Amino acid sequence: MEIKERIPMREQDPKERVNNFDSVPLGYSADEAVAEAKRCLQCKKPMCEIGCPVRMQVKDIIALIKEEKFEKAFYLAKADNAVPAMTGRVCPQETQCEGKCILEKQGKAINIGKLFAFVADWARRNGVTSKINVEENEKKIAIIGAGPAGITAAVDLRKLGYKVSMFEALHIAGGVLQYGIPPFRLPRDIVDYELSYLKKIGVEIKLNHVVGQNVDFNNIKEEYDAIYISTGAGAPRFLGCDGEKLKGVYSANEFLIRVNLMKAYKFPNWDTPIICGKKVGVIGCGNVALDAARCAKRLGADEVYILYRRTKQYAPARAEEIHHAEEEGIIFKEMVTPCKMTGTEDGWVNGIELIKTEFKGVDKSGRKRPVNIENSEYIFELDTVINALGTRPNRLFLNNVPELETYDWGGIKTDNDYMTNLSGVFAGGDALTGGSTVIEAMGNGRDAAESIHSYIMS
Amino acid sequence: MDHVITRKENLNEADYLIDVVAPEVAKKFQPGNFAVLLTVPNGERIPMSIEKAENDKITMYIKRLGKTSKELDDREVGDALYKVVGPMGNPPQLKKYGNVVFASDLVCGHAENSAMCRELKKIEGNHVISIQSYPTKNDVYPDKELAIDCCHEHILATEDGSVGKMGHYLDILEEMLQERQIDQVFAGGGIPPLQELSELTKRYNVPVMTTVRQIMVDATGMCGSCRVFVDGKQKLACIDGPMFDGHKVDWAAAISRLAMFKEKEAEAMECYNKEIKELR
Repeated sequence: MEIKERIPMREQDPKERVNNFDSVPLGYSADEAVAEAKRCLQCKKPMCEIGCPVRMQVKDIIALIKEEKFEKAFYLAKADNAVPAMTGRVCPQETQCEGKCILEKQGKAINIGKLFAFVADWARRNGVTSKINVEENEKKIAIIGAGPAGITAAVDLRKLGYKVSMFEALHIAGGVLQYGIPPFRLPRDIVDYELSYLKKIGVEIKLNHVVGQNVDFNNIKEEYDAIYISTGAGAPRFLGCDGEKLKGVYSANEFLIRVNLMKAYKFPNWDTPIICGKKVGVIGCGNVALDAARCAKRLGADEVYILYRRTKQYAPARAEEIHHAEEEGIIFKEMVTPCKMTGTEDGWVNGIELIKTEFKGVDKSGRKRPVNIENSEYIFELDTVINALGTRPNRLFLNNVPELETYDWGGIKTDNDYMTNLSGVFAGGDALTGGSTVIEAMGNGRDAAESIHSYIMS
Repeated sequence: MDHVITRKENLNEADYLIDVVAPEVAKKFQPGNFAVLLTVPNGERIPMSIEKAENDKITMYIKRLGKTSKELDDREVGDALYKVVGPMGNPPQLKKYGNVVFASDLVCGHAENSAMCRELKKIEGNHVISIQSYPTKNDVYPDKELAIDCCHEHILATEDGSVGKMGHYLDILEEMLQERQIDQVFAGGGIPPLQELSELTKRYNVPVMTTVRQIMVDATGMCGSCRVFVDGKQKLACIDGPMFDGHKVDWAAAISRLAMFKEKEAEAMECYNKEIKELR
C-alpha cells in the first residue's frame, strides 16, 4: 500500500516571521486535520501511545478527528492532558508518539502534535470546554510551583476530589511555559487559555507566594494533607570562565525571562528592557539555545551564531527547531568550545575565545565525544553572548527547607513513589530530574498525583 | 490583596517615602530584606529597600530616578500597586558587635540604615552609630523618627557642610576609625563609595557588610542578572544577598554591571514623560 505524504503544516514565511513574535506554524484547517488523521493506520497495538509520557489515547483521538468528531476528540485529549494545545506545540513528538509511529519507518509519521493542537484550538475557538464531575473530599493538597509538573498534578488531584492550592513565586502561573518558551513557538493567548482551566475546575492559585520567604514551609505542612514540590530547574548554569562579569553576557534564562515573561520585545510599552547586539553568540544547542537565538534574531540581530562543540545532528534540540532556526538564518558554528569572553575597556563583551574540537571516541550518552584541539584557540568577535548550557534546581526554595534531602547537584531525593525523606511531601518534575521536557515533567506530575492519592488513601 | 498606598511624603526634592499595604511582606520582614514591586501589569519587577514594616504595611524610600519610580510618584494615597512581593533576600544574622556603624549616602541606603539600626539597637551590648550623608542641607531627610530614634548616636553630614558635619560618610568614618574602636560597619547606598568604604575598613581591619545593589529581573534566583562576584565565587544578590562582605566583593564588576541598561532607562523615562504630556 502506498503511504501518502504528511499533510504539510503551513507556516509564516521565514523572512517575515523574523520581524515578529507571532506563531510560526499557522495550524491545520479542519480539512487538513481530517486528511492527516485519515492517514492513520489505527494499529492494533498503537506504539504511539507507549511513547507518550502522559499516556494519551492517541489512536482513539485520531479516529475521532478522522470522523470530524472534534468535540469528542477534544474531551478524550483533555482526559489525560490538561494542556493539549501547548504540548501539541512543544513536545518533542519525533522522539515520542511520532517517533514510535509505524509510518515513521518511511519518514511519514502521523503529525500527532499538530493534530492535537488543532483539536484543542478548535475547542477554544468554538467555546467548547471539558467539564469534570468532582466528588469532593476534605483533604487538602499544596503544590509548590505552577509549572508543567505542578499543573498536571493539580488537575489530576482535583479530578479526584482534593482541594488543591498552588503556590507560585512569580506574578503569573505557568513556569517555563511563561518565562521560557517564546511566543512564536507557544502563543501566550493559548497559554493563558489553557491555564484558565485550572481555575475553572476549582484549583486555587496563590501567585507571588515564595515558599520559604513569605510563606513558611512548615505552616503548609501543617495545613495540608500532602505537598507536591514542583519548583522546577529554573536556575541558570554559567561556564565559570573569565568574562562572565561583562555587560552583554546573559544567561539564556535572563534573556528569555526578559523577552517572554517581561515582554521586553515590547519595550518601552512594557518596562523591562533588553539589549541585544548585532552579532550574537549563543553557547549550546538545546531547545533553550535555539529559543534564545531565534529571539535575538527577532530583536534585530544581524548575525546569530549557535556555538556548539559537536555537530548539529548530535544536538539535544528538536529537529523541527533546528530546521526553523536555519530557515530564519541562524548560523550553526559547529565543533567549537568557548574558553572565555573578552571585553572592552568599559566592560562590554566584544568577543569570545573559542577552541576547535574534533571527535574522538564515544561518551556516556552514546554520542561522539568532542575533544579540544590543542592550540586552536581564536577570538570570535561578538557583541552579545547568551549562555544556554542548561539549568539546575533553584536554591531559593531548597535553602529555606534544609530538612529536605537533596543530591549535591541540587536535585531533590525521592523514593520510587516520588516521596521525599519527609512524610507526605512529594517532589517531581525538573526539581527531581534537573531538567527535561515539558511533557516529561507533566508525566512526572501524573505519576506523583497517583502516588499522593494512594498515600492519602492508605 | 490590594497593595494600597496609605501614605506618601516627600523626603526631599528628589526622594519620597510611601507606605503600602503588604501584609505578607510586613509579617516576615527582617532588615536586609527587600521587596519586589510591579507597579502595573506591564511594569518591571524592581527591587526596593524597606525602611520599616509594621501593621501589615511596609515603608519604602524611593528616588524619582527612572520610569517606574516616577510612575509610582504619580500615584496618590488610596491608589494600589499591581504586585508587591517579598520579603526577598537573605539578610545577615545580626548579633552583638559592640560599636557598630551603619553608613549611607543615598535613598535606599538611608532606608536600610534606619531598619538595620533599629534592629541592632535591640541587641544588648551594641552601641549603634548611624552616619547619614547628603549633598547639601536641602537634601536632608526629616531625621527624628527616621534616624535619631533608630540608633544611639546619629551623625548627620553634608558634603558642603551646610548642616551637620562636613563631608561624605567616608570622611566621617575615617575620622572615627582613627579616634575610636569600631567593631563592625554596615553600609548601603551608592555603589562606588561602597568600594571606597571597603578599602577604608580593610585598612583598619574592621569587617564591613555592604548592600550590593544590582539589576534584577525575577529576583527569585532564576535569571542571574544580579550576579555578584564575592571572593572569586559567583553569588546572586537576590537570593544570596543583597548584603555581602565588602572586603570580598568584586566592585569593579558590580559598578560596571549596574550601568548596563542606562541608555534603555533613559529611553523608558523619555517615553513615559511624552505619554504623560499627551495625557495632560
